[in-house]
Amino acid sequence: MAYSEQLIDHYENPRNVGSFAKDEAGVGTGLVGAPACGDVMKLQIKVNPEGIIEDAKFKTFGCGSAIASSSLITEWVKGKTIEDAGQIKNSQIAEHLALPPVKIHCSILAEDAIKAAIADYRTKSAKGAEGYE
Amino acid sequence: MSNTGTSETRTAEQPQHKVCWSCKGPVGATSLFCETCNAIQPPGQLDHFTRFGLKRTFIIDVDAIEATYLKQQQLLHPDRFASKSAREQALSSQQAATLNGAFETLKNPVARAEYLLRLAGHEPEGGEGHTVNDPELLMEAMEMREALHDADDRNAVDTMIKDTRKAARACEKDVADALEQNAYDRAKKLTTRLRYLMKMTEEARAKKSRLAAA
Repeated sequence: MAYSEQLIDHYENPRNVGSFAKDEAGVGTGLVGAPACGDVMKLQIKVNPEGIIEDAKFKTFGCGSAIASSSLITEWVKGKTIEDAGQIKNSQIAEHLALPPVKIHCSILAEDAIKAAIADYRTKSAKGAEGYE
Repeated sequence: MSNTGTSETRTAEQPQHKVCWSCKGPVGATSLFCETCNAIQPPGQLDHFTRFGLKRTFIIDVDAIEATYLKQQQLLHPDRFASKSAREQALSSQQAATLNGAFETLKNPVARAEYLLRLAGHEPEGGEGHTVNDPELLMEAMEMREALHDADDRNAVDTMIKDTRKAARACEKDVADALEQNAYDRAKKLTTRLRYLMKMTEEARAKKSRLAAA
């Protein structure tokens, strides 16, 4: 099967690999898995007080398409508001990387991961706000 | 179910007999060959457990099943049917394929658990495009894979393989208990955990061979 240049580029030179401390202020962590392939993906965002994603990191144990999908989405979300980042659809990732049909679930995983990270950030910041009342 | 004609009526879950297509005599539901005329029989609609003469239960003797499976595959070898009719050749390859599928499902604990879930009318979590977000499970999976990624000597990887195998065996026991108690939601979660443990074992073994080759 021929993979696209974009996919190979993200797989061979993944962007933003790494972690933030989970408890750091403004950090939201999304952890999702695709049980069918035993893949696990951690995606973290660092959000500034204006609600803009300043930085994003990921760690994915899975196939090349899962790594490329998570690498791409970390690039895309940087500089976006959390609202805009939450609008990214797996089909956009799949299209950009020209994922073959059997690998579409990897892009679903990346979409779910960013959504989970945003949800975690929101929960944490709501709790933080309560704490200061 | 093709339980027609002269076959005995019994109250068991599965038909005990069907009718031989060749001599019209009675044939056991799981028989490969007619007991009367020795003609190869079609595989029929049996669940994988019944096909191997087992109860529908998670804990099975895989070695014993494998022995049965290998014996039957020998009996179904295409060479034995080279001089038979086209119908018999077709039936023997159907039987071989069906047995192969049944054995592949039963020998693998994850596939077996998922099969039992489906037989009970519950769809397992591993479906295509299905993602999970159980934090405890994923945290465990992430930590295992990170530790494996960071490991750089064979002994450390070996220990991980042993530990993961141990965890997988304990998890298999938990799956068995959950299925036994018809606790299907718990069985589903545990089956997913078992998948991750199997994947970890697979990756750890691959890393061990890479380290050995280096």
